[in-house]
Amino acid sequence: MSILKLENINYSYVDGGMKRQILNNCSFEFEKGKFYTILGPSGSGKTTLLSIISGLDSPESGTFYFDGEDVNKIGLNKYRRNKIAIVFQQFNLISYLTAGENVQLAMTETDNSVPKNQKEVAYALLEKFGIVKSKADRLVSRLSGGEQQRVAIARAIASNVDLIFADEPTGNLDTATEQEIVKIFKMLTEEYGKTVIVVTHSNAVSEFSDLRVKLEGGNLITL
Amino acid sequence: MNYINRAYKNITRKFSKSILLGLTFFLIGNFVIVGLGVSSAADSAKIMARKNMRAVVEYKVDHEKFWEDAEEIEDDEEKEEFYKNQPTISIEEVSKFMGDSRVKVANAITSERVHPIGFEHVLIGNEREENDSNNIMVGSRMDFGGIDGGDQEYIPYVEPAINLKGNLFPNMIEFEDGLYELIEGSMYTQEHIDNNDKVCLITDTLAELNNLSVGDTISVNTRQAADFQHNPDRDYNLEDGIIEMEIIGIFDNKEEIDPSSDNFDWMGASESPENIILTPSNHVLEKRFEFYVADHEYYKNLNPEDEYYSDPDNAPTMEDINRLGSVVLLLNDPLEVDGFVEEFTKTSENEYLILDANNETFLKLAKPLDTLSLFANIIIWLVIINAIVIITLVTALTLKTREYEIGVLLSLGVSKTKVVAQFFVELAIIAVIGFTLAVMSGSMIASSVGNAVLDFQVATSDVEVEDDNNYYYGETDYFTEVSLEDITKNYEVTISPWIIAQIYVAGLGMVLISILIPSLMIMRFNPKKILLNTN
Repeated sequence: MSILKLENINYSYVDGGMKRQILNNCSFEFEKGKFYTILGPSGSGKTTLLSIISGLDSPESGTFYFDGEDVNKIGLNKYRRNKIAIVFQQFNLISYLTAGENVQLAMTETDNSVPKNQKEVAYALLEKFGIVKSKADRLVSRLSGGEQQRVAIARAIASNVDLIFADEPTGNLDTATEQEIVKIFKMLTEEYGKTVIVVTHSNAVSEFSDLRVKLEGGNLITL
Repeated sequence: MNYINRAYKNITRKFSKSILLGLTFFLIGNFVIVGLGVSSAADSAKIMARKNMRAVVEYKVDHEKFWEDAEEIEDDEEKEEFYKNQPTISIEEVSKFMGDSRVKVANAITSERVHPIGFEHVLIGNEREENDSNNIMVGSRMDFGGIDGGDQEYIPYVEPAINLKGNLFPNMIEFEDGLYELIEGSMYTQEHIDNNDKVCLITDTLAELNNLSVGDTISVNTRQAADFQHNPDRDYNLEDGIIEMEIIGIFDNKEEIDPSSDNFDWMGASESPENIILTPSNHVLEKRFEFYVADHEYYKNLNPEDEYYSDPDNAPTMEDINRLGSVVLLLNDPLEVDGFVEEFTKTSENEYLILDANNETFLKLAKPLDTLSLFANIIIWLVIINAIVIITLVTALTLKTREYEIGVLLSLGVSKTKVVAQFFVELAIIAVIGFTLAVMSGSMIASSVGNAVLDFQVATSDVEVEDDNNYYYGETDYFTEVSLEDITKNYEVTISPWIIAQIYVAGLGMVLISILIPSLMIMRFNPKKILLNTN
């Protein structure tokens, strides 16, 4: 059963007077509970595709459905708040909040059902991803890159969504940390039943995924 | 971690930035408070001074303008016609004013100096000895003379001792002001006036002196023997001038004579506040009319060839007798005076009938306060304009550094309203703290600055006050005399709750505007674009 279905998504931009077609009638279905990696050379449009399917940007044409529902009808803001979570290469955490508070933020803003004891839940989630309480109370700017990415993943989980996107989540991390993060993604699908879609250059990451998809000629091809 | 929590965390964890922003609000707040405080103190000092003045306006004919306009007419016939149509004020017109809810009392006063019959007037203390030849003019203590003394006998003129003060309307400004206080009985009513009842009120001193009380009757004569010695054949005799009145009230006149005044020695008894008798005007005017008619007839018979007396147009009429010099209106509220005058001036069809609030002196004296208020208002506007620019720039720069945060929050699905609300709460908390500190320091600064500027204005003020109101016998100056001190003594800079509320509302309004503009500028892009820009 598909959690996300893309139908004829088109996207282009003008670069140096030339129109570049990034997505060309792109259609694809992502199954529930799977770990996907989207591969492709630099400039192929992977991040653009992720931006569109995560509701950060809008396609020129085409439709995509979440759980069979047109995302435009859900509303992009609501879609981002209640249906999906995003893990960025730059972590995108709020600098003046602690790790725990960043995780709580996701729980506060979502309309999904979340536990009332948000603070404790945030600590527990972070601890699960290797961030102990003493570190959870630190401002995120005082954590390492790997720790910040764990916080970002914990934040993604906290909002109780089924679909998690990640854009080059290990791009700023060393190999050892990359392995740990990938294991976490794997765990999210296996233990939590989440669907994880990761855009990456890294073969090490893609090797862990259930399905590898390549963006080529503006369309997705299963490898 | 809702937006209020986030706002609080941002303020406390980015403390130095919050302090700098707070300092900006504090400085701006001080300037605004100085401006508002000084301006409001100047305005309220004027209002206080105005409130302390009597709410009095005088309805009168603008004779000055009438004569000026008459002078400009070259054609004699036209000029004569112009003079004939000299505007007059009538009771009907004044009655219209009385129907206005803002008008409390009207004084349409007539004064008749009369001679007491069968009762003593109150002495004022400047009376001469009996053998002093001056006492025929002053003192009023000579017996009421008769005309039976023989043709050759000279009948001296006797100064009338009583002032029969009449009003065409019930009640009087003096009672409202507390100058007259009713001790016993009642004031005459509209019914007494309408029925032409001969009723009166006498002073407590006069009552005591003559053992008079409410219900008693007193008589006065509007004429004296001397009036008839040269023309005894007139169809009007001394007894015709008698008015008999029932005393319906006794009042205390708190007005006092100053024995040290220059004209005390020459003051007549009728000028004594204790020798005033209050009565409706109409029956007194009628008595005056009867005499004028008889007098006119007498001279007409005496000079049958005289064109003046044979012209029926020159015969005295009751209209002429009723003609009022002016009517003084007392309004309920001194602050309504200017509006009342302005309203009348706009609707008046006769340019020669005016309402005079005697504001010229007040306006001249209030000039330093006006200058101060103007100076303060300029400061306020300069500060507000600068504050909007400064706060908008500061906020725009602050938000620019938080573009990344906006992108993150939007990518998490946080609504734009909540993003703006968070920034508003942040700045509002800082602004409220800054303004609160400014209220404390600003009131002290405002007081010092305001007093210094006012002192300078007063010192350099070259206002010359001229009393150009001339009052004749029986007329009272109802306008309150004001001095520069009267106006400036009320000047006190206090930061009222209203000013504080204005500061907070204006300040928070500025904060909201200065947040909305840059926020909407940033949030017009989608989250991807915002994050790309910052990355």
